Amino acid sequence: MVKKKRIRLIAEMARKIRAYRELKNRPRESEKYALDYDTMTRPHTRKTLPVLAWQDVRRESRLFSLLSGLRMFGVGHLFTRKSWLTEHPEAPSYWQVTKVKVDYTAENMDHGRAWGVLTYKGKQESEPKEMDKVMYHDWRLVPKHEEEQFKLYNPVPEPPIRYVSYPPLLRAMLLAQRQKDELGSAAEEPTLPLKRDVLLSKEYFRSQEKKRERQEGTAV
Amino acid sequence: MTYDRRCLLSAAYTDTKLWEEREKDHQNLSLMAALMDRIYDRNFPVSSLTISRFVDNISSREEVDQAEYYLYKFRHSPNCWYLRDWTVHSWVRQCLRYGARDKALHTLKNKVQYGMFPDDFTFNLLIDSFIKNEDFKGACSVVEEVMLQESFNLLTTQILSMYALSSYLATKPELSVSEQRTLGAALLICGLKQDNSTGLSAQLLGCALLGKVEMAAGIHAVFRGMPLMWTPGYLGRALAIMERVAATPGDSKLSKDAVDYLEGLLQDLSSALDSKSSSGEDELGGEEEGKKEEDEDDQAEREKLPLYASRFKELSGQLQSGGKVDPSPLQVLVSSLVQQGLASAEGPDMEQYQRKVGEWEAERQQLIRREKEMRERAEEERQARQAAKAAAQ
Repeated sequence: MVKKKRIRLIAEMARKIRAYRELKNRPRESEKYALDYDTMTRPHTRKTLPVLAWQDVRRESRLFSLLSGLRMFGVGHLFTRKSWLTEHPEAPSYWQVTKVKVDYTAENMDHGRAWGVLTYKGKQESEPKEMDKVMYHDWRLVPKHEEEQFKLYNPVPEPPIRYVSYPPLLRAMLLAQRQKDELGSAAEEPTLPLKRDVLLSKEYFRSQEKKRERQEGTAV
Repeated sequence: MTYDRRCLLSAAYTDTKLWEEREKDHQNLSLMAALMDRIYDRNFPVSSLTISRFVDNISSREEVDQAEYYLYKFRHSPNCWYLRDWTVHSWVRQCLRYGARDKALHTLKNKVQYGMFPDDFTFNLLIDSFIKNEDFKGACSVVEEVMLQESFNLLTTQILSMYALSSYLATKPELSVSEQRTLGAALLICGLKQDNSTGLSAQLLGCALLGKVEMAAGIHAVFRGMPLMWTPGYLGRALAIMERVAATPGDSKLSKDAVDYLEGLLQDLSSALDSKSSSGEDELGGEEEGKKEEDEDDQAEREKLPLYASRFKELSGQLQSGGKVDPSPLQVLVSSLVQQGLASAEGPDMEQYQRKVGEWEAERQQLIRREKEMRERAEEERQARQAAKAAAQ
């Protein structure tokens, strides 16, 4: 049979120490997302930013550049992104900040992670999520005296979902299946909705993972 | 007008008695400094109680500088969120006591580095001390900070900042582009909170200044770093204010110098545009490269300038005929506001301040108690461990 595996304790210990050191010396947000504004490269990865973004990087500011100058790091304020303003100007989209974890090693408290409630195209979500693209030079603060007017939105009612009949062969198969199951042919014609119900999305898989974790508990 | 130049806030407001009555926590500053240095060396977080004790126990001007250094270090530690309101308040009080007003202004200007975000009462104290010393430029810098925090909530703050801004503008200083931007924004946001003629005149003047910056440097230069709206057309907004005042039948008027300023501005801009277009025909090659960088929005703004000028003429005619132009300058309007409103507005402020001081005290005592408990617990554990080690040997 298989030879018995030798237990290498020292290698195990070395692996743990290496993992600990990596955790302790992991690059902070300020190092990862630092940018040299003259050459438009990131010193951490030595990669250059795409050329179409250069004008935005020069003119706009990152989220934390705005948050660092506000009381309590701007918790409760609304922030938009310039790309949203140009993409769909009539439907307001904004983040409302709820929690901020700032990277204290940064010189100007310029980097970190933030969480908030998103309202995308007028539809507000229920749970606070982590904000993505925080380090993009794209963010704008919504002034308090303009907040009310900014949030105004009359949503255009969505047109009702249209239905289409199945291709003939598939339809025949479905009807035959129905007859076998003894539903009878009195049931209505099978139709295909033209709006895709995405069952297998990223949120679905994430929720499944969380459910599995909750059931299993910790690994023994 | 010396009576209102000496002090705006009443003596009761700026009294330090309530603040001094708090329970003192005397600590030796050098010991605390050494303790903090040791904690920072070992990479542990410093508690907010330590830094608040340090700031409370400042007793001379040199120690103000030391405290500034430790505030900087605290801001750049993992506990930067927990800098307490009362620490900031006591820092400002101590600075004013030891005559370190410029130090307080320096930390306020670099609020990102020092984490200095005072609340409304503290802002009022600071603006008042600058006005008392007739340092209107410094007072305007403080008002700029208030504007950046958008904390014009109390009536006292609004009145004080309007006074500071109008006094500064009355000295007719030479304004750089950034100064125009900050003054315009402060006037606009402060004026939006007030519904009377002072507020409306301030809004008009603010929009005019911002429109000037917009014409000169583009809309991005206007709203970058400020809580302002990014839609271009600040001159249009100024004209909309004039239209609104002309239309409403109420008592609100616009100050004459605000309207005059806007008129002079429009004339300057139109003449500058005319001269640029006449000289532009000579140097087309060099200018074309410069024009490509200009945004289409900014160009559209410039094209609207003659439209603005004509609309301004008709609106100012309407205002004159409706008797809506107040001949007194902005400063006089503000002084009248001060006389009417300041004394009555101070009352609720002081009650709220008393309540807040009570809350801060309660929190501070709770923190002290918690620290003592943790120290006792750590002591017990250490003794238990020592006893276990002695028993094991």
